[in-house]
Amino acid sequence: MSKPKVAIFDFACCEGCQLQIVNLEEELLDLISVVQPVTWREAMSEKDDDYDIALIEGSITRPEDEERLRAIRDRADILVALGACATIGGVNKLKNNFELDEVKRCVYGDAADMPHLDTAMTKGADEVVEVDCYVHGCPMDKKEFTHIVKSLALGKEPVIPDYPVCVECKQRGTICRYEYGEICLGVVTRAGCNAPCPSGGLWCFGCRGYAPEPNVQAARDVMEEYDLTVEDLQSKLKLFNSKQEPTNA
Amino acid sequence: MGIRKLSTASLHAWVDRIIAGNRVIGIQAKDDKFAFAPLSAAGDLRLDHDVAYTPPKAFFQPAIETLVRYRGIEHESVVDDDPFVLFGVHPYDMVALNQMAEIWSRDNYDPHYMSRWEQATVVACDVQNVSENCFAGCMGTAHVKEGFDILLTKVGDSYLADYRTEKGEKLADLMEQSRDATDGDLRARREVWHANNRLLRRHELQMFPNNLPELLEKSYDHPVWEEMAERCFSCGSCNLCCPTCYCFDVQDDVEWDLQSGERKRAWDGCMLASFAGVAGGHNFRGDRADRYRHRYYRKGKYVPEMIGECACVGCGRCISACVANIANPVTVYNRLLEDE
Repeated sequence: MSKPKVAIFDFACCEGCQLQIVNLEEELLDLISVVQPVTWREAMSEKDDDYDIALIEGSITRPEDEERLRAIRDRADILVALGACATIGGVNKLKNNFELDEVKRCVYGDAADMPHLDTAMTKGADEVVEVDCYVHGCPMDKKEFTHIVKSLALGKEPVIPDYPVCVECKQRGTICRYEYGEICLGVVTRAGCNAPCPSGGLWCFGCRGYAPEPNVQAARDVMEEYDLTVEDLQSKLKLFNSKQEPTNA
Repeated sequence: MGIRKLSTASLHAWVDRIIAGNRVIGIQAKDDKFAFAPLSAAGDLRLDHDVAYTPPKAFFQPAIETLVRYRGIEHESVVDDDPFVLFGVHPYDMVALNQMAEIWSRDNYDPHYMSRWEQATVVACDVQNVSENCFAGCMGTAHVKEGFDILLTKVGDSYLADYRTEKGEKLADLMEQSRDATDGDLRARREVWHANNRLLRRHELQMFPNNLPELLEKSYDHPVWEEMAERCFSCGSCNLCCPTCYCFDVQDDVEWDLQSGERKRAWDGCMLASFAGVAGGHNFRGDRADRYRHRYYRKGKYVPEMIGECACVGCGRCISACVANIANPVTVYNRLLEDE
């Protein structure tokens, strides 16, 4: 059986998820025993437009990005969104809470009107094209990535948790942030990261996006009981889970 | 078998001797809570804990464990047979462990769970400080009569160590400076039990637990399920922190050769949205309210009908763990009783 050809493409992002693949280090040899990378800017010079699987990193922030993504979608049998920027738009969606012109001037000052700095509302990959598989997180989790690659190689659907992060905190015996009256987005966020942030004494930032059917209304309702406000909740949600319009939790 | 009395200092010396020759998991401080963890010195043991944050089931049914290692169709079962001492189990948790041993050994005997149970020496300990949500007194679990190898009870400044089994006696043999308990000591211990039965009632169940199956029989369509479930995050916290929730999911973790790997099981919970999902994308408890109701039926009806005991032992962990504050079994069961 010939190995599936894989191409990795970056859009608006820090390229940290590609770096996570590079960080597999000794496992890289195992990885290429299962798939054949043909385009991978961070790790090889060669490029090839003949591929079976496209890994998309980064969010879509310009009209020309949408065209490029559609062209990739047309060539690929399987399109995988890699990391929070691609799966949900990620931190780049913060800008959707502001006027685009205001955002450009804040970042680029007098140069804001230069044509190559044109910008649009940020989108995740699936707001532009159909996505077959998601590798959630900021950055994506190496172990989950390898699980997904192996599953695809076996022709199996990868098992991606569809429950909230609370499950992994309970599995680890991590003390809940709400015990200390702190907001944690774990109650509405998809697990699969093994909850490193709460176990390190932080709250869940929500980088893996909402769990399916998140009870955001319940999150709003409980804020008062912890002497917190809905605005507190919104300010946390904005970081990774902003939308096409200003975030109202 | 017997009951020995030893001072707190002697108890510490005894625990250190146990640690010297055994793998000991003991209750210890974890931030401002308490947790079972490998114990390296008697001084770290906190028999005055109010509740262990994670129930001791984690040492018999780990959150994630390997069941089978395989290569192609060749495979071998993985059974953990490393003896250990579990030190500082509260009575309600002991009752839960007894129930779990019953459940994991009936029908399909589970060698993974039962091996750990057989290898364990369990030192139970009567409650000295009541946690914020404990209602064991209402559930008949403030005190435990069986299942442990040793039961420790603090009486005044000393401890009584009641050892019942060969494994318990083996540990008791390591005691120095102890004496047989007197009738007076045993009277004092009974007073502790009576007091705990009164004190472990942060919430007051308005019925006897053995009336729950009958009450639930009539309550399937009660509005409380919908009302409470509206605020449910489907996060499973109430399941996973429960000492008698034992459901699991099984997945393969395959190696890069795509031939060999490990079959693992992990804690699962009936409050999670896809828990009752089956092939074809169907889910026979797709609604939050259906899932919410199911947990109360498991604890109060289905498991009791299977093993003859209420599966809620009143530890109160679910009440503390539920961010939405909707998981209190006492609130729900009392409401059903009021509306009967």
